[in-house]
Amino acid sequence: MTQFTGCPGSKMVDFREKDVSPRGEATGKIQSQLRQWPIQLHLISPAATYYQGADVLLTADCVGYALGGFHPDFLKGKSIAIACPKLDEGQDIYQEKIKSWIDDAKINTLTVLIMQVPCCMGLLNLAQQAAREAKRKVPVKYVVVGIQGEIQKEEWA
Amino acid sequence: MEAYLNRSIKKVIKEFPPVEKILDEYAIGCGPCAVGLCLLKDIVSIHNLPADQEQEMMGRIASVIHPGREIQIPRTERKAEAQPRELKYSPPMKKLVDEHVLIKKWLALIPGILPTLNLESGGDRQLIREGVDFIRSYADKFHHAKEEDILFKYFDENLDLVKVMCEEHKTARNHVKAIGEALERKDRGTVVRRLNAYRELLSQHIKREDEIMLPWMDKQLSVSQVGEVFSRFLEVEERMDSCQQKYGDFISRVEKKYKRKED
Repeated sequence: MTQFTGCPGSKMVDFREKDVSPRGEATGKIQSQLRQWPIQLHLISPAATYYQGADVLLTADCVGYALGGFHPDFLKGKSIAIACPKLDEGQDIYQEKIKSWIDDAKINTLTVLIMQVPCCMGLLNLAQQAAREAKRKVPVKYVVVGIQGEIQKEEWA
Repeated sequence: MEAYLNRSIKKVIKEFPPVEKILDEYAIGCGPCAVGLCLLKDIVSIHNLPADQEQEMMGRIASVIHPGREIQIPRTERKAEAQPRELKYSPPMKKLVDEHVLIKKWLALIPGILPTLNLESGGDRQLIREGVDFIRSYADKFHHAKEEDILFKYFDENLDLVKVMCEEHKTARNHVKAIGEALERKDRGTVVRRLNAYRELLSQHIKREDEIMLPWMDKQLSVSQVGEVFSRFLEVEERMDSCQQKYGDFISRVEKKYKRKED
């Protein structure tokens, strides 16, 4: 088999054989921690009440599917928006919305959840750029999620 | 070249096929990507190659796009901050650690000041008076107040770690009070002894805070609490707006004076 040389974000990986032991399975129904709609960054209004003074998650689209404990471990108690730094257009609008969260909605913190693939770093770059341009300052954290759902890094930016 | 940096990679490769191979050699495998909407400049920036490799690669791409021409390579915006890195502290803890730096600068100056300290000299008395003011206003009112009035409130006041830190703040205040009183009496011996004791106490105290207490507290606080602490620290900084500039200038002035003496 030849070595894959394509974009790491599109590299095909099959982990169906991954061990899913009983301890990794949730018992009972998992309560959704989502407390708003819409969630897509183009659709949300930064002025929505649920962003005022909130701890906000800015999550790359794929994270919600990769991260098993996304709802209880990260979404609980937070407001959210999702985006894809690779495929979405109009990312200058994204940057303005993030700035508006910081300056107008006066959010408390911003946590950026991205996948390990290189293109996902674009979402963190976007958030950091917006945070630098905002008049207010807020703590920005980032979490890198591996394609098999493991937390690879969790740090303050 | 600028125009091509702002063009999608698929279009660039379609027009200049050798670019795909060049990107490939730097492990940027855009060729097989079915989407290919990323702009060339974003691809270069996101992959964040070492600066020399990036220049080399861009030079090769430029020679494909503009063969035989000397091309000025525009610098892509390097976003080093976005690279995952070791970060010990959350933003509010980092503020405290940064404030320690100025306090440590004052502590480092004390051994140079004391041997020739002459309290009969107006200049020396003024220096100690300003030093006491720095400790009271910057180290205590500004910095320790952030710790005691804000950060420590998130923890059980009976925790040994918190109790010890508060006790050391108290001891430091006693030293400073004694230095102020001894200064009025021109009691050189007490000023020297207490300043030395203050220096020893604070050096160890700051080391413990930087290496043990703040990293531990960071682990205990939730993301939301970190945000609250950060915001309350900002309020203190706004309220005492001139404090950092004023005392930063004081330390720089004393550093220059004693550096000149050493030279």
